[in-house]
Amino acid sequence: MTSHIFNPKLDRRTLIKGAAALGAFQMASPFIIQARGETPIRMGMVDPLTGVYAAPAGNEVMGAKLAVAQMNAKGGILGRQVELLVEDSANDVGTGVQKARKLIERDQVNFMIGDVNSGIAAAIAQVTAEKKILHIVSGGHTDSITGKDCKWNVFRVCNTTRMEANSVSGVLFTKYGKKWHFITPDYAFGHTLYDACTDDLKKLGGSVTGNELTPLGTTDYSAYLIKARAANPDVLILLVQGSDMINCLKQVVQFGLHKQIHVAGTQQELESLASLPPEARIGVWMFEWYWKQPGIAGVEKFVADIRKVNNGNVPTARHWFGYTSAMTFALIANQEKTTDAVKLAAALENFELPDDVKLQPNKVYYRKGDHQLMTSAFVGEAQSKGKDDAEDLFRVDEIVAGDKTAPAVSETGCNVQWPS
Amino acid sequence: MWQLLLFNVTNGLIIGAFYVLMALGLSLILNLSNVINFAHGGFLVIGGYIAYTITPYIGFWGALLLAPPLTAIIGLAVERVLIRPLYGRDPLYSLLLTFGLAFMIEDGTRFIFGPQGKPVTIPAFLAQPLSNELFFITGYRLFMVAVVVIAVALLFLLLRYTRLGIRIRAGTLDLDTVAALGINVQMLRSLNFAVGIFLAGLSGVLAAGQLGLEPTMGTGLLMPSFIAIIVGGIGSLPGTLAGGLLIGVASGLTAVFFPAASEAVIYVMMAVVLLLRPRGLFGEEGMMS
Repeated sequence: MTSHIFNPKLDRRTLIKGAAALGAFQMASPFIIQARGETPIRMGMVDPLTGVYAAPAGNEVMGAKLAVAQMNAKGGILGRQVELLVEDSANDVGTGVQKARKLIERDQVNFMIGDVNSGIAAAIAQVTAEKKILHIVSGGHTDSITGKDCKWNVFRVCNTTRMEANSVSGVLFTKYGKKWHFITPDYAFGHTLYDACTDDLKKLGGSVTGNELTPLGTTDYSAYLIKARAANPDVLILLVQGSDMINCLKQVVQFGLHKQIHVAGTQQELESLASLPPEARIGVWMFEWYWKQPGIAGVEKFVADIRKVNNGNVPTARHWFGYTSAMTFALIANQEKTTDAVKLAAALENFELPDDVKLQPNKVYYRKGDHQLMTSAFVGEAQSKGKDDAEDLFRVDEIVAGDKTAPAVSETGCNVQWPS
Repeated sequence: MWQLLLFNVTNGLIIGAFYVLMALGLSLILNLSNVINFAHGGFLVIGGYIAYTITPYIGFWGALLLAPPLTAIIGLAVERVLIRPLYGRDPLYSLLLTFGLAFMIEDGTRFIFGPQGKPVTIPAFLAQPLSNELFFITGYRLFMVAVVVIAVALLFLLLRYTRLGIRIRAGTLDLDTVAALGINVQMLRSLNFAVGIFLAGLSGVLAAGQLGLEPTMGTGLLMPSFIAIIVGGIGSLPGTLAGGLLIGVASGLTAVFFPAASEAVIYVMMAVVLLLRPRGLFGEEGMMS
């Protein structure tokens, strides 16, 4: 009847194809940030610049860029300028691996940094081990990376989930109570963090009332919160991160749950607290690094340097992760006067970071045996508003050294196999 | 257990109401113009960020009134410049265009506002739960449902009793004949698109008050809206309404028994509906064939 001039009919197959494409859209990488130069020393960095971890990933990249600028100003690595090539993993394992391979095979990077997402970090570690590239996992926390799946070439700057749990579990138990209910992100990081927390809780004599496994990128937590409340715990432990943490904590406060149950967790980040309205900045947590450390060498300068490139905002732990990861390569390569990955990896065992890189009071070193950085945990409480600075959103009560929170190497399951 | 189920059904209806708002906008555009608007989540984000930007000057209520029409104006411009030239072509063209547009909006928002989320504060009296028992029913969530009910009612009145609405409905059934009767079809499509984007903008303002406002916010909300349309029936606005509520309740109930599958369940529902009743629960047979 109609000529369909105005209305070319859309069939159901087209619509379903469209829906499938939308699914792909959620995982696809929209753009690539790349910095190219002529210098031969190249650091590759793979991080999820899009998706739920975009904010922390962006900050890790910013920290690494600052490190590269500083090392180039001091002559680079072995007298050669350094360039940083950044790729977006789009928070997808397949994409992350593909980008890592591209950086190694096509761009010929000497070193690799990444990823925020534990699952992607672990997958990239397989690639870097295969290609014999020295790799520092900047922000993926799951235990296995420096545990049962550890590798000779892989080192890690951020805490393990076990270290995070060990740093704060005792405080939460003593302060808030013994019945815990968990909201856990349903992937590697969440699972190991949950295991670590429940192990600690068991040792302390507490019990778990339930665990809500939530898909990464969940927007509405109300159904999980209803279930958690019905279980009547003493503490609601939030293990989610990034925008999941923001969405969850915001709903917790809107529901007034924090007035009925204590709300806390392990890892908290300044990116999340800054994104929350003041009333939702609550709870006891651990930070992996904090910008306000009066009297600690180098911190003031680092804060000032980051402010210059971060719209005047202070650095977060993620800036420090990126900065420390990149600086480690420069420090060890200049010390050993080589870029050979095997020699550098061996030299990094028990390598202690200098004051102007560690930026915290305790001794910080890459532990021999599992390659985990013994970095501190900053345990304290979220503040709705900063007293002297609007970004001072966390009150640090205690800085616990890494070798106090980390389990012994023999307990990690790590058995480093060196190339023959 | 019964209380838990009842709570989750109620909660699911509240979540579903929000999906309805998104899905109705999508459905309007799809029904009249055959455009699968992948950028709908992007327009939601634009609405949220406009509200965030103007709230310090005109307050939450002013932003609620102003951000949706401003988003609709942006939508109108996009329709005029980018989408209109593709109307005569295969629908895949506009699908690909809006697919790319969604990326551009997300990255553009990230470029302007940064990747870090923005805190949006809602009026204090709305940020309170009804009671300790009914803690999940907050003033803001009730307000959201009220806004959705009003928006849906106004939309149905518009479509039923106004000349524009009658033309949109007629165009949905047979646009060529509507054009033959002398009606400016291009204008009709533009206005219809603007109404759809207005609803996306309104969703954005409401979502920003409850969720974290960030560039990726729209992506997670878009898929349930598409599924609401498919489950409810393509071409049927009441079907979209039912589909949105249904997937909200299904998601809420699944969270009680199998939390990890609370998102997957809506995709399962879509698959089941497509297998057993491909036109959707309320869709007309042959509507999209």
